[in-house]
Amino acid sequence: MSKPVLEHSTSRGKIVQLIQKTMKMLLLWLGLTGLIGIATESAWAHGERSQEPYLRTRTVQYYDVHYDKQSVKVNEEFTLIGRFRLMEDWPDAVSLPDTVFLSAYSPGPMITRVESYLNGMPARQSFSKLELGRDYEFKLVMKGRVPGRHHIHPLLSIHGSGPLVGPGQWIEVTGAKGDYVQKVTTMNGIEVDNLEFYGTARALKWYAVWLALAAFWLLFWLVRPLLLPRWIALNKGREDVLISNRDITVGVILGVVVVAISFGGYMYAKHEYPYVVPLQAGTNKVDPLPKPAHSVDVKVLKASYDVPGRAMHVTARMTNHGTEAVSILEFATANLRFVNTQAPGADKAISADYPRDLVARGGLGLSDQKPLMPGETREIKFEASDALWEVERLVSFLTDVDSKFGGLLFFVDKSGNRLMTEVGGPILPTFTAL
Amino acid sequence: MNTETLQHPQGAAAGQTHAHDTVESVSGLSPKALHYSRVFELFVVAAIIMLFAGAIHLHVLLLAGDWDMFLDWKDRQYWPLLSPVVMIMFPAALQGIFWTYFRLPIGATVGATCLMVAVSISRPASFMWWTDYPLNLVLPAQMIAGAIVLDVFLLVFRNALFTAIFGGFAFAFLFYPSNYTIFAPFYVPVSHQGMMASMADLIGYVYPRSATPEYIRIIERGTLRTFGDSASWVSALFGGFICIFMHYAWWYLGIAMSSMKFLPNNAKVMALMGTKADVKASA
Amino acid sequence: MSTLSSRELHLTQTSDTTSRFTLSYIWFAITMIVLTGVYVSYRVYQQMYGMTAGLDSTEPIFQDIWMRLFYIQLPVLFGIVAVIQIYLFMTRDRNIDAITPEVELKRYFYLTMWLVVYTFTFYWIGSFFGEGDGNWHQTVLRDTPITPSHVVLFYACIPMYLMFGIGSFVYAMTRIPAFCKGISLMHVFAVVGPFLILPNLGYNEWGHAYWLTEEIFSHPLHWGFVVLGWNALSLAGVLMQIISRFRELMPIVFKHENA
Repeated sequence: MSKPVLEHSTSRGKIVQLIQKTMKMLLLWLGLTGLIGIATESAWAHGERSQEPYLRTRTVQYYDVHYDKQSVKVNEEFTLIGRFRLMEDWPDAVSLPDTVFLSAYSPGPMITRVESYLNGMPARQSFSKLELGRDYEFKLVMKGRVPGRHHIHPLLSIHGSGPLVGPGQWIEVTGAKGDYVQKVTTMNGIEVDNLEFYGTARALKWYAVWLALAAFWLLFWLVRPLLLPRWIALNKGREDVLISNRDITVGVILGVVVVAISFGGYMYAKHEYPYVVPLQAGTNKVDPLPKPAHSVDVKVLKASYDVPGRAMHVTARMTNHGTEAVSILEFATANLRFVNTQAPGADKAISADYPRDLVARGGLGLSDQKPLMPGETREIKFEASDALWEVERLVSFLTDVDSKFGGLLFFVDKSGNRLMTEVGGPILPTFTAL
Repeated sequence: MNTETLQHPQGAAAGQTHAHDTVESVSGLSPKALHYSRVFELFVVAAIIMLFAGAIHLHVLLLAGDWDMFLDWKDRQYWPLLSPVVMIMFPAALQGIFWTYFRLPIGATVGATCLMVAVSISRPASFMWWTDYPLNLVLPAQMIAGAIVLDVFLLVFRNALFTAIFGGFAFAFLFYPSNYTIFAPFYVPVSHQGMMASMADLIGYVYPRSATPEYIRIIERGTLRTFGDSASWVSALFGGFICIFMHYAWWYLGIAMSSMKFLPNNAKVMALMGTKADVKASA
Repeated sequence: MSTLSSRELHLTQTSDTTSRFTLSYIWFAITMIVLTGVYVSYRVYQQMYGMTAGLDSTEPIFQDIWMRLFYIQLPVLFGIVAVIQIYLFMTRDRNIDAITPEVELKRYFYLTMWLVVYTFTFYWIGSFFGEGDGNWHQTVLRDTPITPSHVVLFYACIPMYLMFGIGSFVYAMTRIPAFCKGISLMHVFAVVGPFLILPNLGYNEWGHAYWLTEEIFSHPLHWGFVVLGWNALSLAGVLMQIISRFRELMPIVFKHENA
């Protein structure tokens, strides 16, 4: 590129000075790049907050989620268990769970998966035909791999719609990444010392072979004049100087060598690995958890969200079809938990390992704390109030195309037995304090 | 100028050749001109490497990228079919350009090598260093074997049609065996949670890709007509068939895209840009 | 082929063919070094802040680290695009007809350097950051169109290649007779094709929001980028236009030059 109009060359000394000055500015730029904002804390959620409230409250509701450890060493296993309900009032916008995949969300393979189970069935493959309105139990066994603090969630992906995450927890992985080992023994007795490096060296050698052959062929032509001289010679009709018999001979030999290596290598690989299988692609089927013998029927009569007050108010008619009197223990939706602190066993409702940033400090307020007797029907109003609604971006009702909500209502009897019911229905936002 | 078939060169037929004629001597360029021609060639080589590393990689990434990127997508049905069909496009166009104007039988190899160089940089840089995946999850396929053979066919036949028929077919047919040597270890069976998996499936499972659930893989799911081991060769043969037409079409697309056409410019724009009726030396 | 002959271009042929022909590579070298530094620093930034601050757009730290960069780089980079073109236009050769073959040959070389830089910028978007984007989105959950990979891939790399793509076109049009008297069709494709990747983003993001909610890279939603990327081939046409003019100029410029 040149200065405008006037083309001239600068002296060598000035060129060197200019390049040195540019390099200094570059180093300064690189340094500044690192200084632009020092991360003081990491992001906690992983994108689920951008999903609309009606999606997150009416699809997959996770509950009874437990992380058995929150700090593991590299190579140490930890377990995530829990359950999820596929809500009956499934939104139209989300594909039905005809094909789903259970996983753990992690920002990359900071942890690795060891085993997964859905209702006791191995869950490496996807599952088909899960049922709405039913519950499933999952178990994920994972292993620390990359040191650091990582936010891990259970994750259910639905074909056609994408991922729906459960409550996330920080897992601290300590140790050195280089210590990570994943030993595997194949079905034909091959011992793999570390899955991380399996097959890599072999692949790199083969890439080197092919690149060497390509380099030979390219250099064979690139060392000669390439463009203008050949273009002129071709226009003069002198193809004889462009392609010689030697060129053809070398090309044919190279072609034969390539074919020989390709098929020879193939046959050798077949001999080396006589027992191989194709990628496994089937889906599994699993029955949902059995329905509980008794339940509490909940019909939402009115629901509203108080925007300035950051509170959800729900009036519902509840009928106890069980044999014991029950109290309302908890309202849970989109991984948020509102516990009625006056219910029996409320102090044990939230396990120590449940992420505290998803537990409402204010708990659940009720219009009537009296237990619901067997066979009784009563209208009860409950209020779930906390700034968490805003933090978790569950208040954007004005942008919803389908203003409905969903959640799980937990009941408990004197003995500590728990019942669970789906709740949901239309919800109206209000903009004045109620 | 005959862009298709080598006829008797006029100069040679007219008996105007000399035994020691070279490209340089026939071109008639002075040594200084040859020097700057070479400087120009260096720039062009650099540009071709960078341009086609970018263009071919983008092309393959968005048409067959998942199969090329991930170990647990390299099945018997789609991978041996889609990869060569997608990967032959740019090499065929480059062949058309390099052969038509320069009689250089390196177009396909240039394309394949540019892709290999590009993925060799981006796989470690992205998958390994940014998101910490092991390299074996994202080992790429190579198309260099097929590309070299495609170039050799062009060199021998010197004809777009026969190159497409034989070379295009060979390009696809060689894809599977030449890559099987690399990926064979990953089809070894392993038992995981009481179910059979290949090592590729296991690696794909162990290292979670959160936004890539297992069911999203477009891989062989089985039919009543899948005859076991021959599935891959059936895909390779079909890929060869498609590549014949793909090569032919892209050869001519390459030639069309190397048109030297200038559209006439508007007189006012020309005047604005700097052409003047009166001539004045300004260098 | 429709190259323009010397006669049509009304060039004056200098009689001074023994003048020394030299090229300056300084601006080319500086540009390549600066661009390399910028791209590397973007990659370093992604490495440092992708996982720690880029996973959730609702977090304040995301706003600080990524949205701030986004808001700064958009006007800066697109501003540079505009400044370069305006500068090239304002410093155009107002007597293109009068240039000597030597000057014209030099300008063809400088046009080649512009195109080399253009291809360099295309490599970073097509290959390096392109695959980085696939890697990022298949690893973590996508929540909005503005993610750490997109901030660099779309909103930095695109203006950066526009600087040199459009710049090469304006340079040629304002300094090289053939490119002034006629519009190089393939040069138009080479510039406009990749430029259209920018509006194609709108379609892409619409699709990711409403249609394709899962991360497959080889999906029809992305094929707009593929087709626009095919325009890379049209640089071959520009190459041939340059070479065919070299064929006419070199014998003139180097008529009496020795090695």
